[in-house]
Formats: sequence, C-alpha cells, structure tokens
Amino acid sequence: MLAFIIRRIFWTIPVLLLVILMTFLLMKLIKGNPFQVTERPVPPAIQANLDRKFHLDQPWWAQYLYYVRDVATFNLGPSLVQRNQDVNDVVKEHLPVSIKLGVMAILFAIVLGIPLGLYAALRHNSVGDYAAMTFANIGFALPSFLVATLLIYFFALRLKDYTHLPTNGWEGPSSYVLPVIALGIYPMTYFARLVRGTVLETMQQDYIRTAKAKGLRWKVVVGKHVLRNSLIPVVTAAGPILGYLITGSFIVEFIFGIPGIGRYYVTSVTGRDYSVVMGITVLLSVIIIVANLVVDILYGYLDPRTRDERT
Amino acid sequence: MSEPDVATPKSATERRGHGVDRPLLRRRQEFEDALSRTASARGAEAGASLPRASLWGDAFHRFMKNKASVVAAVAFLALLAFVIIVPFVSNEDPYALDFSQAYQSPSWEHPFGTDQFGRDLLVRTALGGRVSFGIGFAATFMIMLVGIVYGATAGFFGGQVDNALMRFLDALYGLPYLPFAILVLAVFGTVNFWTMVVALTVASWFTAARVVRGQIITLKQNDYVRAAYAVGARGPRVLYRHLLINTLGLIIVFVFLELPGVILGEAFLSFLGLGINPPKASWGTLAQDGYTAYATHPYIIVIPSVCIAWLILSAFFIADGLRDALDPRTKEA
Repeated sequence: MLAFIIRRIFWTIPVLLLVILMTFLLMKLIKGNPFQVTERPVPPAIQANLDRKFHLDQPWWAQYLYYVRDVATFNLGPSLVQRNQDVNDVVKEHLPVSIKLGVMAILFAIVLGIPLGLYAALRHNSVGDYAAMTFANIGFALPSFLVATLLIYFFALRLKDYTHLPTNGWEGPSSYVLPVIALGIYPMTYFARLVRGTVLETMQQDYIRTAKAKGLRWKVVVGKHVLRNSLIPVVTAAGPILGYLITGSFIVEFIFGIPGIGRYYVTSVTGRDYSVVMGITVLLSVIIIVANLVVDILYGYLDPRTRDERT
Repeated sequence: MSEPDVATPKSATERRGHGVDRPLLRRRQEFEDALSRTASARGAEAGASLPRASLWGDAFHRFMKNKASVVAAVAFLALLAFVIIVPFVSNEDPYALDFSQAYQSPSWEHPFGTDQFGRDLLVRTALGGRVSFGIGFAATFMIMLVGIVYGATAGFFGGQVDNALMRFLDALYGLPYLPFAILVLAVFGTVNFWTMVVALTVASWFTAARVVRGQIITLKQNDYVRAAYAVGARGPRVLYRHLLINTLGLIIVFVFLELPGVILGEAFLSFLGLGINPPKASWGTLAQDGYTAYATHPYIIVIPSVCIAWLILSAFFIADGLRDALDPRTKEA
C-alpha cells in the first residue's frame, strides 16, 4: 500500500509540470502587449526594463522554468490590471468563498442524493422509484443557470415575505441557501442515479442472499452489506463531480453575485488580466490533480484489487 | 438466406438484379449460400425460411423495442425539425428592432413572446437552436475525429507509444474544462462559430480518445484479429477492417453522449458573456437575455433552457437504447 501511495504521488509531479506547461504555452500564444494599458505605446526603455523584470527577454523555456519555480514557492506573480494586488491576494480573498460554496453543495448532494438513490433501489419499479428517478432525470438535464434563476424568482422574489432570502450576495447563512441548492442539485441527482444503480447491482450478489438466508434483519443487511459495498463506486464519481463543481460555480457565482474565484476569473478574462487568468487556471489544475490523487489512494485502500493496475 | 430462393428459385439473370451484372456480389452470395445451406435446408424442411440477421438490422429492431429510446429519438428529431423548419415558415424578422413590441407575453402572434428589442422569440429560439446544434455537431465531429485518431494510435501500437500517449492524456485530465475552453478562446482573441468549435474540442476530446483506445485494445485480443494477421493481412487493413469497424457502434453511442455536453458547454460560455456575439444568438445567449429580465419575464430564460434540457434528456436515452441495441452481448436478454 505504501509503495502504491509513493508511486502515485511521484507520478503527479510530471503531470503538474505538463499541465503548467500547457497553460503557460497557451498564455504565450495570446496576442497583445500586457503592459500597454492605454493607446499610448510603451516607451522602448521602459518596455526593456519591464521585459527584464518579468524575464520576457529570455527564451520561453527559461520563462517557463521561472514560472514553475514561482508556482512551487506559492507565488503566482502580480496582477496586470490591479497594480497593488498580487494573484496570491486574489486567491486568498476569493478561493475560500468558492471552497465553502463547493463543500456545502457537495454535502447537500450527499445528504439528499444517497438516501434518494437507496430509496429508489429498495422500492425498485414502484411509484416511488419512478417519481424519484423522474426528479433525478429532470435535475440532471436542467442547466444550472435555469435552476439558479428559478430559485431566485420563486424563493427570493415571489415568496420573499415567507423566506426572507436575499437574491444575491454572500453575507450570512441566509444568502448561502439558494446558491448551495443551485450548485448541489446536479451532483445530488448524479449521486441518486449512481447509488440506485450500484445498490440494484449489489442486491444481486450471492453474499446478500447469504445474509438474508442466515436470518439477518433486513435493516442490517441493507446497512452493513448493501450500502457499504454500493458506496465504493461512488468514490470514483469524485472526479466528474469536482469538474462539474468548478464549471457550475462559475455560473452560480455569476448569477448570485458571489465574490468567489469563478466570478473573478470571468472578470479577469474580459479585463485581460492574464496573470490572474493563468494563476487561477494553474491553481484549479492543482486542485483537480490533488483530488484525483486522493481519490486513487482512497480507492486503492477501499478496493485492494486496483492498486497494481493504477500507477 | 431468407429470400424465397428455396420455394421459387430465382434464375441467374433475376439474381443479377436490375440488369447490372455484379460478379463480386454474386460470388459472395454463392459463398454465403454455401455456408448457410444446411441451416436454410433445415428451415425449408420445417416449412419456414430462416430470417437473415445483419448487425444493423438487428440493432434497429432491438432499438425499436426499447420504448423510452424510441420516444427519445422522436423527441430529438422533433427538436431538430423545429430549429430547421421554423425560420423558413416564419414571417418574423429575427433581427428587426421594434421597441413598441418589447417584452410581449406569449400570444397567438408570438407563441414564445418577444425580447427586449421586440424580436419574436419563437424564430430566435429556432435560429439559436441552429447555432447551438451546429456548434454541437461540428465540435462532436471534431472530438470524435481527434479521439479516434489518438485513441486508435495508442491502442493499436501499444507498448511505449501507448504508454507515452496515455500519460499525456492523464495529465490533460488535470485541466479544468470551462477555464481551459475560455483560455483557448482568449488565444483566438475572437469568438465565432469555428473558434467556439475548436475551443470546445480542445477542452473535451480526452474521454473520446480514452474510450476508443480501450475498445481497440479489447478488440485486438480477439482471435479473428490474430487470424487476419495469420492469413497475411497487414497492419492498416487489420486496423481498418477489423478494429475501427468494430468500434463504430461504440462511437455512435458516444456521439449522443458527447453532443449534449458540448452544447451545454457552449451555453455556459455564452451565458457568461464569453460566447457568440449579438445579434446572433445561441440557446446560451438567449438564456443570458432571459436572465437579465427574469424578475419581470421569467419565461424568457425557461424557453432556451428547456430546449437544452430536452436535448440532453433525449440524447441520453437515445445513447442508452443504442448501447443496448449495438452490444451483441445483451442480445439474448
């Protein structure tokens, strides 16, 4: 197990370097001079000084190595548009908001999605099953911008007198409710469908029949045998769910005016603040890669058969 | 052979069909006759002709038996027909501004109402659908193309080539989807149909490559591949005739899984204001228009969003039905 973990951790290093390289090269391809803020051309002497300061007078691979060094020391460089801000400041200010939103959304999804899937599977082919799956399919298909907008329309506008929920902002728990639901609906339906499928599959297994045959109470069979074995494949959903959370948070933060990293990213792209764009892209990549690492190790722990296949 | 050749044997000229002599076809038919003679002879003795089974015919029959998939296919075609036909039959100008008609609620004249410039939303939804579908189909095609070439190369050559290509793919999986697509659009510096297609392709071809590679590797272990090599077939022929052809079913299923994802990706980008420029529209920009007016006219955002949901659900159930229909292992079930 230890060897597997060490091997897996070492493998993330070239992956990180490659991802940073891809992002770096894409940023190099973007046309335009980042220092030319106004119409006036930058004087050559100043341009030369700036180039030297940011190592732009050196070949691209040297610039890349400088950037890797900076990333490794957790320094994402200055913002090009807001002169008094580093990208680090931006991240420190906005990332915690996004993480809080994402964690709450995923908890919402787990707490409601897994019981829903379990219920649908245990009542297989009943009215309850069909109702649960219809709900899950609708939640799966509706784009998050519609869910978010309708939540605002009904619960923050029409039912304002009963719910007292704000339409936007990120101050206090009452402003968390709607964004968390809007972001959490899709993962919730994802979990519900996945758990329903795995539970139905697990119930076909011989050990479930054995457990029933030896006279275990049904609650114990479901709790100890069905649910535990059904939840292992759910761990693999972490990858797609994290990808969705990042994409979805862009939309939800935009609609609810939440000062998170996604909204700042969109503002930076339209404002051409490319060092921020690059910094956030690299940061999100690191989060994804580390999450994949954790999932692989967790899966290796839960299901020993996968240790040798995955490096 | 199921044709009435047992009961009323056809003459040689009849068999040629339409007066055109097709010797290759005839020889193949004779060959197949010889192969199935025992079976068809037995069928004739029992007074019944054996139905001839072909992969695609079988798949079609199995697909038609799955009610959910048939409904989904009809829904999908209906949506496609809607976006294609409506702009032809509508008299409304999708770009003409008329502020006296702004924000009309749905009526007989404007079934979907009008937007803030008084433009008819029925025809704009259809036109937006054309853009969304167009980008969706084009990007899906490119994703499949890149994915097949990459995945088939890795799977077919195997060994070090496979290792290197797959390690690279693993690394790409670390890139966040939406930011990566936004970055590619930033590199182009302009957003139009084709830059959008390329951005969506670059951000999402990985899974197609991985799926194709997996299938090729599985197929390579089949005896008929070894047999093909044994009778002297060369690599490219095996790759094309035996491996890629047999991936086709999987690819068709995958198209219906990829299409909604790409269309949703475009909608997200357009919704954030990073997509197609006005006055052109896609479902994403229409949703964005609706979002700005949600407090007073909430139905405007509902229309394009329901179109997207309709597409996602129908494509999903089509893919589901196709998977069952094209996978011979579930044939007996």
